[in-house]
Amino acid sequence: MREIKQHPVLTVEDKKHVNFTYNGQDYYGVEGEAVSSALIANNIQIFSLHHKNDVAQGIFCANGQCSHCTVLINGSPVKSCITPLENNMDIRRLDGLPELPETNDVQGKSRDIQHQCDVLVIGGGPSGLTAALELANNGFKVIIADDKAHLGGKLLLQTHKFFGSKADCYAGTRGHDIARILEEQVRDHDNISVMTQTIVAGIYKDRKAGLFVNNERYEIVSFEGLIISAGARERSLVFPGNHLPGIYGAGAFQTLVNRDLIRSSDEIFIVGSGNVGLIAAYHALQAGIAVKGICDILQEPGGYKVHADKIQRMGVPLYMKHTILHAEGDDKVKKVTIAEVDDQWRPILSTAKTFEVDTLLIAVGLASIDAFYDMANSFGFPVVKAGDADEIAEASSAMFGGRIAGLTLAKKLGKDIIIDESFYQKANILKSHPGKIYPKKTITLTERFQPVIHCLQEIPCNPCETICPVHAISLHPRKGNIMDIPEYTGHCTGCMKCVAICPGLAISLVRKLDDVHAEIVVPYEFIVDFDLGDPLPLMDIDGHYVENGIVKKIRFDKKTRTTLLTLQASLQYAQDIAGIRVQESTLISPLPEASYSFLPDDAIVCRCEMVNIKEVKDYIVEHDVRDINQLKNIRVGMGSCGGKNCSLLLPRIFKELNIPFEEVTPSTSRPLTVEIPLHSLINESKSSEDNK
Amino acid sequence: MKTYDILIIGAGSIGLPTAYYFANKGVSVAVIEKESSVGRGQNKAAIGGIRATHSDPAKIAICQESIRQISTMNKDLGYDVNWKQGGYLYPVYLEKDEKALRSLLEIQKRFKLNIDWLSPLEISVLVPGINMHDLRGGTFSPEDGSASPLLVADAYYQLAKKAGAQFFFNEEVTSIKTENKRITEIRTSTESYSAGLIINCAGAYGREIGLLTGQDFPVYPDSHEAGITQPVKHLFDPMIVDIRPADSSKNYYFYQNSEGQVVFCITPEPAKVGLDCDNTSEFLPQVVKRMIDIYPRLRNLLVRRTWRGLYPMTPDGFPIIGMNRDIENNLLAIGMCGQGFMLGPGLGKILAESFIDGNKEHDFIFEQLSPYRNFDAEEMLK
Repeated sequence: MREIKQHPVLTVEDKKHVNFTYNGQDYYGVEGEAVSSALIANNIQIFSLHHKNDVAQGIFCANGQCSHCTVLINGSPVKSCITPLENNMDIRRLDGLPELPETNDVQGKSRDIQHQCDVLVIGGGPSGLTAALELANNGFKVIIADDKAHLGGKLLLQTHKFFGSKADCYAGTRGHDIARILEEQVRDHDNISVMTQTIVAGIYKDRKAGLFVNNERYEIVSFEGLIISAGARERSLVFPGNHLPGIYGAGAFQTLVNRDLIRSSDEIFIVGSGNVGLIAAYHALQAGIAVKGICDILQEPGGYKVHADKIQRMGVPLYMKHTILHAEGDDKVKKVTIAEVDDQWRPILSTAKTFEVDTLLIAVGLASIDAFYDMANSFGFPVVKAGDADEIAEASSAMFGGRIAGLTLAKKLGKDIIIDESFYQKANILKSHPGKIYPKKTITLTERFQPVIHCLQEIPCNPCETICPVHAISLHPRKGNIMDIPEYTGHCTGCMKCVAICPGLAISLVRKLDDVHAEIVVPYEFIVDFDLGDPLPLMDIDGHYVENGIVKKIRFDKKTRTTLLTLQASLQYAQDIAGIRVQESTLISPLPEASYSFLPDDAIVCRCEMVNIKEVKDYIVEHDVRDINQLKNIRVGMGSCGGKNCSLLLPRIFKELNIPFEEVTPSTSRPLTVEIPLHSLINESKSSEDNK
Repeated sequence: MKTYDILIIGAGSIGLPTAYYFANKGVSVAVIEKESSVGRGQNKAAIGGIRATHSDPAKIAICQESIRQISTMNKDLGYDVNWKQGGYLYPVYLEKDEKALRSLLEIQKRFKLNIDWLSPLEISVLVPGINMHDLRGGTFSPEDGSASPLLVADAYYQLAKKAGAQFFFNEEVTSIKTENKRITEIRTSTESYSAGLIINCAGAYGREIGLLTGQDFPVYPDSHEAGITQPVKHLFDPMIVDIRPADSSKNYYFYQNSEGQVVFCITPEPAKVGLDCDNTSEFLPQVVKRMIDIYPRLRNLLVRRTWRGLYPMTPDGFPIIGMNRDIENNLLAIGMCGQGFMLGPGLGKILAESFIDGNKEHDFIFEQLSPYRNFDAEEMLK
């Protein structure tokens, strides 16, 4: 079993194991966890063979959005990522099209399940929860529908401390802890009902929504207004081999590793240097998974500099201006090859590097899940979108934006309230992209500890300033808001609170011991597997090895669940040192010779129907396509995901063909957003089967 | 002004085959369409059934021709439109339905249609797992079948273009000018056209186009909702039509297409009159109850998507096909009553043969479906 037994940040609880079979062989897994996770925990990566070409399929979104994880459970085809594991399940690989089990029993009793509310909040993540609270505080009856077992959305997967400001969005607290705080608040509120494991399958013209509950029931909710806070889905990427099992989104990976505590891989590579990719690398390292590198076609990392710095000094190389050429493996990814790109973003094949990995994570951006917003608008329903469904940004911004969304909908529903202008300003600051980078400042070292700040890029964040009990750190007022860079302004008492709370792990404390030696304190969020007196590799801000430092003290700050290491270093380098390398450099090197085939035409665009990029491009050109609906003739968008995935890839494809995407008519979005069995749609009781 | 021999308004189930068969006769053809591609009106909402087993000579003749055209399309013209000759099955559970269908069968046999009465046992061989409780038998017409509306529309679009027809998308007809009982100019949002013959193939908007020339042809759309499931291994071949009425619905029907997906649709009662095509919450529970009832095995099937399309209805349930008697260059092919997809191929061919070749053998169709007939009669098998 690939269970994570020990984690530096997450609590590993004892879990009840149950037995199941896969293709007739006995396995065991954790009761109630997703079947997909149980399979991966048992090293099973192939869930089905595609009905068009028998190609192996594995997990892709781990989020109920696609159906690549479909398996046969007790004879029926179901998505394994949203099906909880039960004792004695008979799970089988789905080979081609499923065969419907022969159940000839007459129809059991059916029933309608109806609910009523003022506001249906679709998605119980950071923005949905804060929106619900504002609405409930204003007297509205709210139902929160969320597809997961626990509220919090992606907060639950975020084991890192949050950016932003303490006052507005719990900055400095870890994401999964914020989720718990918000969940408690909504569960305690009389005006809020929570429906978890509930997917909103459709909203209908008669001002009702159809909910798929617990993977089993279909329930109807009438509402007056809607909050669309359904978050975002991960964009995929078109490259040869992109359909192989073992290639999936960073979000799917975080679900496996941080939610289900499965060491899903041994060695990974990541495409995309935004915050999602950078944090996924960090989470991998925390789970004991080697990260061989991160590549991005951009010149500079897309995410926060503090994240990129942190990842590099942990020992993960960033390959900027690189693209992925090929992923290879018989029925699962085994090798990936990247190459540098030229100024036209074309790969330079002579620079190809091949890595042996068992997993490739795609972290090339997110796309808002806002189809319900457009639909509700066209139906004339009061509706507001919030969080990533509105605009892709950090969860800190989503939490604050959710409050504004809640108030805005309250107003639309007739409540007489005034939304303070400062709310909008704060919301804008919180969703700011990273700004300018400033040179690092050095300080004069003394015998007393003082902070050295390795946070040089404007980002919306200030916990260091607010936590310091003696106000020894303040933001240098350039912009006059939390985008400003923190600065040490004197009188540090050495309490280490700033070191422990900094979400970017970008503050160290330094003091001079003598003319050659210094002592440094750095934060450490990994399992401590060394002792006092051991040497550890000290790294500078850019990820270069500086020297070995001797561990002098190890202490664990319970509140932030962060280890604070005191190490002895040379005085001359003391201010350069920003952290400890956790991954050996020998682990990450590419194969001595690149080995790949470059067949860009083979890259899959529509995974559901296995349509490759050449087929799509040829059809667009030959048929002069200006309407996405025409691509349905080659079945693009006709599959189980309903075009959720391929539609995100199409704009770029049209652009590559020099067709302005604005001239292309979009495809239409229709219910259902998730496939639902007929028996669930009428809540058929199983009693008739018991009477056999 | 652009001038053509034939100008077709609407690139849908009727307009596309009509464009092809006319263009194939060597005349110049233009098609104007308000949407940005073909079949974006009700064609895309059709579920794909094609049957000749109607109860009147005109529709039987047209649909027999449609089946000939669609079933040979792959072999003769190289377009695979997923034709599947699965037949139409009307299973019967009520005495009164048996009586009605048996008497209809007499009429259908008189028209030499290949249709017969099947015993319950024969039905259970055809549809393994069908609910046998109270099953009295039913009619089965093996030559009927289904095809993909999407692929049929695209095939006729490609064929029409190859035959020289020109298509103008994103152009809505804004006005029609008539002089001396002739249409002299058709204006769209961006262009103006004239033609020797203007064919109104505007489907659900057939009446609106008619009103632009001052005539009111009685086409009033109502709507039906439909859905499609995931694909599964082969279960059954025929289109199954259950004509029993139930709560808030009349008949419903479903079949398994060549991809393996089950496609289904229901007739609401009372009819939902109007152009609204947005989904409602009632549809799925309503149709699913009835589908599991007749075919319990479908209970584990996953529904993938639903939609709502228009049935451009006429007062008697029959199409309006024929010349506008007040305007000498205006032909009407509207009011298909939800059967445009199955009527289109045959109708297009028949119109071209009648109006270009002067073929008289289809004249009975124009008499029966005349825009100026008495609309009081009612269709037996809608």
